[in-house]
Amino acid sequence: MNIASAHEGLTKLLEQVSGFIYPNEIEVHWSILIVVYPYLTGLVAGAFILASLVKVFNVTALKPTYRLALLTALAFLLIAPLPLLLHLGHPLRSWQIFFTPNFSSAMAMFGFVYAWYLMVVLLLEIWFDYRADLVNWGQTAKFPLNWFYRILSLFSKDVSPQAIAFDNKAVKFITLLGIPSAFILHGYVGFLFGSIKANPWWSSVLIPIVFLFSAIVSGIALVMLLYMVITPSRGKPIDMKCLDKVASFLLYAAIVDFSLEILDITHRLYESEESIKIITEMVVNKLFISLVVLQLLIGMVVPLGILIATKLANFNQELRKLLYFLAAILIQIGIFSTRWNVVLGGQMFSKSFRGLISYRMEMFGQEGFLMALTLLVVPFFILALLIKLLPPWGSTETLE
Amino acid sequence: MKKLPDQIIRISIIFTALILFTIVIRVFIIPEDLKEKGIFRTSAIKQELAKEIHYAGSEICVDCHEEQYDAKHNGYHKELSCEVCHGPSYEHSEEPDDATPEAPRKRKFCPVCHTYNLSRPTGFPQINPFAHNPLEPCINCHEPHDPRPLETPKECAGCHRSIATTLAVSPHVKLECITCHNTPEDHKINPRIVRPGKPTESKFCGKCHADGSSNREAPKIDISVHGENGEKYLCWQCHYPHLPEVD
Ligand code: HEC
Ligand code: HEC
Ligand code: HEC
Ligand code: HEC
Ligand code: HEC
Ligand code: HEC
Ligand code: HEC
Ligand code: HEC
Repeated sequence: MNIASAHEGLTKLLEQVSGFIYPNEIEVHWSILIVVYPYLTGLVAGAFILASLVKVFNVTALKPTYRLALLTALAFLLIAPLPLLLHLGHPLRSWQIFFTPNFSSAMAMFGFVYAWYLMVVLLLEIWFDYRADLVNWGQTAKFPLNWFYRILSLFSKDVSPQAIAFDNKAVKFITLLGIPSAFILHGYVGFLFGSIKANPWWSSVLIPIVFLFSAIVSGIALVMLLYMVITPSRGKPIDMKCLDKVASFLLYAAIVDFSLEILDITHRLYESEESIKIITEMVVNKLFISLVVLQLLIGMVVPLGILIATKLANFNQELRKLLYFLAAILIQIGIFSTRWNVVLGGQMFSKSFRGLISYRMEMFGQEGFLMALTLLVVPFFILALLIKLLPPWGSTETLE
Repeated sequence: MKKLPDQIIRISIIFTALILFTIVIRVFIIPEDLKEKGIFRTSAIKQELAKEIHYAGSEICVDCHEEQYDAKHNGYHKELSCEVCHGPSYEHSEEPDDATPEAPRKRKFCPVCHTYNLSRPTGFPQINPFAHNPLEPCINCHEPHDPRPLETPKECAGCHRSIATTLAVSPHVKLECITCHNTPEDHKINPRIVRPGKPTESKFCGKCHADGSSNREAPKIDISVHGENGEKYLCWQCHYPHLPEVD
């Protein structure tokens, strides 16, 4: 191709650009898949933190959501690396990455953080928590499911009080280990962005912490949504005490998250580094809807208002449920926008600080909208399967 | 010693199996070329070498196209490679009859580089393609391999458009470029070699602005005190000469 014909393609692309940019900035390389990635890992970390409240901090009111939160974390964790692998372009070759680790690459650290979190934290905790149930189901379920449970229980049979006491101790220990691990998992994702010196939109020590708290907010909101959908569909009443408690924690986390976000913005405005002009221009021209409207207003201020209102006013149960539901949905929209703004925002202004670039999302294709949508939906199917196989409302209570 | 709990033993078996599995994969399945040089896949070099070659480089063309080469060699386009305009020509340079490169004869081609754009370096020849002899192909007037200006641009604005447009809206609009830049005629022909002068000291501006100067329009200041006592900074460290502002 000579530049005469390249010219036409280039002119088309140039319509997405305003001002001056460097040649390698014309394409937004980190696409919507990279938006989905921190969103998914955030949900994992958040759901896990909610679960840990029960075991470590003994918030017994939250018990009905404990196992649901664990399974949610697992379902989303299983899909979390997929956006990355698809983005890298050769998902079938990805296993080579896992077996030839590069210890000096911050990007490659995800492999370790992920393996640690999946194998040592989440799966182990779920195993210890379900073990007695698995042994039980291994005896009562029909063929071939009974074998499935036996294999899952690693053929253990011991359900003596000592063994169960040990399970509980193990769960508690792993959860203790799991809290910092969940922080690392998502803090790490924030670190990846925060440590990119060359990009003023990302480079900030606050980013890992902002990521972490937004993760906690989104994870709690997701488990709350799931609990509110799944329980009535089983014909069971929603435990309002539990739901109120989840909503309280959601509110606290959201307050911290909101303050951090405002702190981040204030900090940038006050510092007024040389990048502030182009960043302001980007926020006003490119990210106004997704940042100001979706992330801050609809995704944060409105749900905060709703949650505070439910605390102050004496609404009846039905209204509370409705409001919680609404708040949780808005929060999901808000946190997704947060990821969008961080990931794409960092690529929408030129490092020359003199131009802006647009992102045009593909529809089909490996990095398109449909792929992103699929990645966001698949975890729910996995969760459905997990719930079918490992009912969170299992028989431990009766055994105890 | 207390007996290890049954659960721990079972879990340990699984983890041992996983570790063994990893070792087996590392040792037997990961291809050798991924292990030889750290994270670098050594066979990548071979793979790259095996790729088809598209570009011939700019030296080989001279063998058969001396005329164009010589023209370009000394002209304004000397720094462009032939293939920038003619596209990848490796196949052509091997077998000229099998493949002929395209020659970009259409008018829309040259403005890729020559359309006026503020971010281009100062002095780069730029035109407004809508206003500059519209509709006619550029090569009717400019020989692409040696595009010397048909006539020397008379205006400094021809090459210094952004400075000229800035100056045109500034308080200095009435000053000509040459008031401040002593410009030899040859600058317009060999701009990078023959350079115009630039004011070097604050006294220069003082000709019009110092108290007691004969210029009637220019606002006056006391150069010995104005601007941090006049010594430390040159006037244009605070006032852009092409758009002097006071706020
Ligand atoms: C081995 C000799 C040879 C080499 C080397 C060679 N060419 Fe040619 N080139 C020819 C011949 C012969 C023709 C005339 C072919 C024709 O008219 O079909 C030609 C024609 C052309 C044309 C005319 C196309 C047109 O539309 O009129 C262009 C452009 C061209 N060459 C560019 C190049 C470039 C650029 C290179 C260096 C990368 C190059 N050539 C190297 C022999 C060569
Ligand atoms: C600025 C772009 C540009 C560059 C650089 C360039 N060419 Fe050309 N070339 C053209 C255009 C435009 C034509 C068509 C001229 C015409 O039809 O009058 C052309 C025509 C030709 C032709 C056909 C004969 C002719 O003069 O019409 C040959 C051969 C050729 N170029 C060779 C070369 C070689 C060899 C080089 C490198 C030394 C080179 N060109 C560099 C734009 C370029
Ligand atoms: C790849 C970019 C590129 C393309 C394409 C290109 N030029 Fe140029 N042109 C240049 C450069 C670089 C110079 C030299 C500028 C300098 O000396 O500072 C130049 C100089 C010129 C000049 C000299 C102007 C002057 O008075 O100093 C003319 C005229 C010109 N080009 C015409 C053309 C025409 C006609 C075409 C289309 C056939 C063309 N250019 C295509 C890059 C390009
Ligand atoms: C043919 C195009 C052309 C024309 C016409 C032209 N210049 Fe230039 N001028 C240049 C180029 C090219 C440079 C070098 C820019 C660079 O190297 O950064 C330059 C540089 C300069 C510089 C800076 C020199 C330095 O050392 O930094 C001044 C001042 C200048 N020109 C003034 C003028 C004035 C005044 C006129 C009109 C009388 C004029 N030029 C006409 C092309 C031109
Ligand atoms: C009718 C003949 C004609 C055509 C067609 C034409 N030009 Fe020119 N061009 C001139 C003349 C005459 C000058 C020198 C006087 C001036 O500066 O306007 C010139 C000057 C230029 C310069 C140098 C400007 C400067 O300020 O140094 C460039 C670059 C240039 N032309 C590019 C183009 C390009 C690109 C096209 C096609 C889009 C084109 N010309 C079409 C006649 C033409
Ligand atoms: C009032 C005096 C004055 C006038 C009038 C003026 N210049 Fe300058 N120009 C300066 C000074 C002083 C500098 C040196 C600035 C520096 O070194 O930072 C300069 C620098 C330049 C430079 C090199 C640096 C740059 O900014 O790119 C160019 C080119 C230039 N002038 C072109 C022009 C042209 C073309 C005109 C007419 C359209 C013009 N100037 C009119 C005072 C003037
Ligand atoms: C040939 C005389 C002349 C020279 C040399 C000259 N100026 Fe001026 N300058 C003027 C005139 C005339 C005005 C007032 C224009 C008006 O506002 O009517 C002016 C206005 C200004 C102003 C005031 C702008 C305003 O908004 O009030 C500043 C600042 C200035 N010049 C700075 C400079 C500097 C710096 C230099 C040296 C690089 C310089 N001038 C060289 C004639 C000159
Ligand atoms: C340290 C920065 C600085 C330097 C150096 C400087 N100026 Fe100024 N100049 C200013 C500021 C600030 C103002 C506006 C406030 C004022 O009137 O003092 C100003 C105002 C002016 C005015 C407008 C006065 C009026 O009454 O409208 C002129 C003319 C001027 N400067 C010329 C010059 C000249 C000529 C030089 C070099 C000898 C120079 N300046 C050096 C900062 C500077």
